[in-house]
Amino acid sequence: MYNLSRRQVLSGAGAGAAALALAACGDGGGDDNSTKGPDLSANREGAMDKYAAGDQFKATQPLSFSIMMLSNAAYPYKADWLFFQELTKRTNVTLQATVVPGSDYNQKRSVMVSGGNAPMIIPKTYRPDEEQYIASGAILPVSDYTSLMPNFTDQVKKWKLEGDIDTMRQDDGKFYLLPGLHEDVWKDYSLAIRTDILQKLNLTIPKTWDDLLTVLRAMKAAYPDQYPFSDRWSVPPQPAGANALLSILGEAYGTWAGFSWNHTTWDPKAGKFVYTGAMDEYKKMLQYVNTMVSEKLLDPESFTQTDDNARQKFASGKSFVISCNAQTLANECRPDIAKIPGATVVKIPVPIGPIGSAKTGTRLESGLMISSKAKDSKNLVAMMQFVDWLFYSDAGKMFAKWGVQGTTYTGSIDDGSFKLASDVKFAGLNPTGTKNIQVEYGFFNGVFVYGGSTKLLNSQFPAEEKQFQDAMTARKTLPVPPPHPLDADEREQATLWEAGLKDTVAQQTVKFSLGQRPFGEWDSYVSELKAKNMQQEVDTVNKSYERYKKNHG
Amino acid sequence: MVTVDAPPIQPRAGRPRTRRPSQGSRTFNAVNAVILTAVVVLTLYPFVNILARSFSEEHYIRSGQVNLLPKGFNLTTYRTVLSDSTFWTNYGNTVLYTVVGTLISLVLTTCYAYVLSKKHLRGRTLLVGIAVFTLFFNGGIIPNYVLVSGLGLRNSLWAIVLPNAVSVFNLLVMKAFFESLPAELEEAAAVDGMGTYGILLRVVLPLSKAIIATMVLFYAVAYWNSWFSAFLYMDNTSLFPVTVYLRNLIAGATGGTNEGMASDTQLQIAANIKAVTVVLTVLPILLVYPFIQRYFVTGILLGAVKE
Repeated sequence: MYNLSRRQVLSGAGAGAAALALAACGDGGGDDNSTKGPDLSANREGAMDKYAAGDQFKATQPLSFSIMMLSNAAYPYKADWLFFQELTKRTNVTLQATVVPGSDYNQKRSVMVSGGNAPMIIPKTYRPDEEQYIASGAILPVSDYTSLMPNFTDQVKKWKLEGDIDTMRQDDGKFYLLPGLHEDVWKDYSLAIRTDILQKLNLTIPKTWDDLLTVLRAMKAAYPDQYPFSDRWSVPPQPAGANALLSILGEAYGTWAGFSWNHTTWDPKAGKFVYTGAMDEYKKMLQYVNTMVSEKLLDPESFTQTDDNARQKFASGKSFVISCNAQTLANECRPDIAKIPGATVVKIPVPIGPIGSAKTGTRLESGLMISSKAKDSKNLVAMMQFVDWLFYSDAGKMFAKWGVQGTTYTGSIDDGSFKLASDVKFAGLNPTGTKNIQVEYGFFNGVFVYGGSTKLLNSQFPAEEKQFQDAMTARKTLPVPPPHPLDADEREQATLWEAGLKDTVAQQTVKFSLGQRPFGEWDSYVSELKAKNMQQEVDTVNKSYERYKKNHG
Repeated sequence: MVTVDAPPIQPRAGRPRTRRPSQGSRTFNAVNAVILTAVVVLTLYPFVNILARSFSEEHYIRSGQVNLLPKGFNLTTYRTVLSDSTFWTNYGNTVLYTVVGTLISLVLTTCYAYVLSKKHLRGRTLLVGIAVFTLFFNGGIIPNYVLVSGLGLRNSLWAIVLPNAVSVFNLLVMKAFFESLPAELEEAAAVDGMGTYGILLRVVLPLSKAIIATMVLFYAVAYWNSWFSAFLYMDNTSLFPVTVYLRNLIAGATGGTNEGMASDTQLQIAANIKAVTVVLTVLPILLVYPFIQRYFVTGILLGAVKE
């Protein structure tokens, strides 16, 4: 049993304070080039002397690391999974799991980290959740240790992820979360369209948002009593309702809305951030939505109804278009329309808008934190090498995702010969298999699988989704905005402003969309935003951008 | 010393006690019956509906066609849940935590309440104050967590049954009940040579069955339903109570944590896991309730009224 003595608490607090003081003094010195990182001569026990990208990691003596283990209800944690056995065989490392039910993972993580009881490795952390633990010094500034992680650094360089990584940096120039790295932006949300109706009306799958208008108008002409498009994902409004539609539409217009909502948008021409809800692009996007509503192509209830209502309309053939992702297409849209004779549905590639054949978004995923207790561990170096191998090396990723060649899969993803073993199934792959790769073997576990190459990602999709992914991969990826980390005070102030701004944008987005407010009043809407501290918000973000550029750029 | 005698029953003169109910009282009874039947239906309907849902097929549940009777009788979710050995381990844990927790809580609450009910106790106000203070203020989750960890209670039964052993609300109800017992009884017992513990165990407690039954019910239901302290202090699946298990199942089935396509089984589970969960957790309490229920109302009322 791990008991904290008073002295330990005090010394921990002292160390935290010292670290804070050092960090504060280190202004401008946040160079994490890591070649001259912390002195690690006392932390090398069990580590490999020579460990480089592509090498198989194997600890020189049996080691054991504690890990926070999310137990997913769909594949509850089992200590005897092949994953753990094989992992120990390959790396000489045993994982001691603190099992946490997925339902309340974040809360337990907070309590354990704040209570000083966290395991060394803390996976499944979504940005910016790590920020709440930085001030107390409870988690390791992992950017100081990337020199121990050859696969990580190699991938960042190979996939040119430096810009994405920069967005994670805090005011001190360091980052505290090891994110999942994707080779390309992964798009999932799009529109599901009834293809039997398209065929009946002699229409083709719309490629652009303008094509979509044409298709919807034709549907409306054939079924004048119905709204051809009735959308979901409006509860909770975030910020406006019809969140998936606004999200993909916004990106096509070069702005942020719906699920992707972001208060500020980087304007590369002006070299500064502007307020998203006041952008010309945002207005144009709303005008497009308004066109759909005013011609009665889009159900006005799309902004308020529950998912179940939207699904029922689609299921009963009252609407022909609805937002979807790969999962809802297969689990909801398809089964829902099964009762309509001859009905078929596909997820179309995201329609193209004014920004052209491009996509935006981050290539970073949730990732893992390392407890700052690791600093005092004599196995620190071995642990970072282990993390690097399991989470970032090609072999480690392949192992975590698909298991053991010859047992759970055959072939290779590089030459496209990859196949699950005949008795193994995963989601839509190999549905006749008897053993679920997640439940029976512990592979493809969300705790260990993050990011990867496009090839690795595509290996998990059935043919249909792969087509969608291929279409999206072919599009150009736009650069991410430059880093602009706010300090704690700015963050607090901005949060207050953002609450009021978000409400106003949400309400007015719906009003403009539904035609309850004419676009002639756009300027007065912008002044309303100004009254809610829009300019202060933008100035704060721009100030932090300039400051970061000066200190770390 | 005062003696308490029940007032003698006076035979009433005049009209006989048994008579035909008047028009007014018959109307009253009829209206009463209608209203109460409506209340019964209103309270029962959701439960029957839940029961029906738990046995229905996914498609009918989604389209909102299930009312009083199951449609497309289906046991997939029950089978999945009941065939999982973890479910049974966790169900056993729940029973264990409930039994041990209720016992400890009952002993501690009774002792504390009995002491507080004695008006001649010095520092009584302070002791009541300490209890009531915790009703309004507590350390918060993280200090509690550090404390429980520091005491070495994590991953043990004690982390669940000790920190919340005394519920102040229950304590006050019980204290009021003890205060309402005639002091003369205890004085008589003392005169007959009984000590404090003798009085408590042989005189007071036998007279307190109603309140004890109420407390058992209150505490047992609270432990049965509780999941948070177990979730916080237990780091191992085999120590979780069934509430944590089912909570995770619901989150997994409805939260979309699952990437990719779900199988038919998963879709079925997502559709009625909540109903199945309610049935499975409520069933034991439902079976016990009728046996304690007759004490229940008396227990609460006795504690509530002070002379």
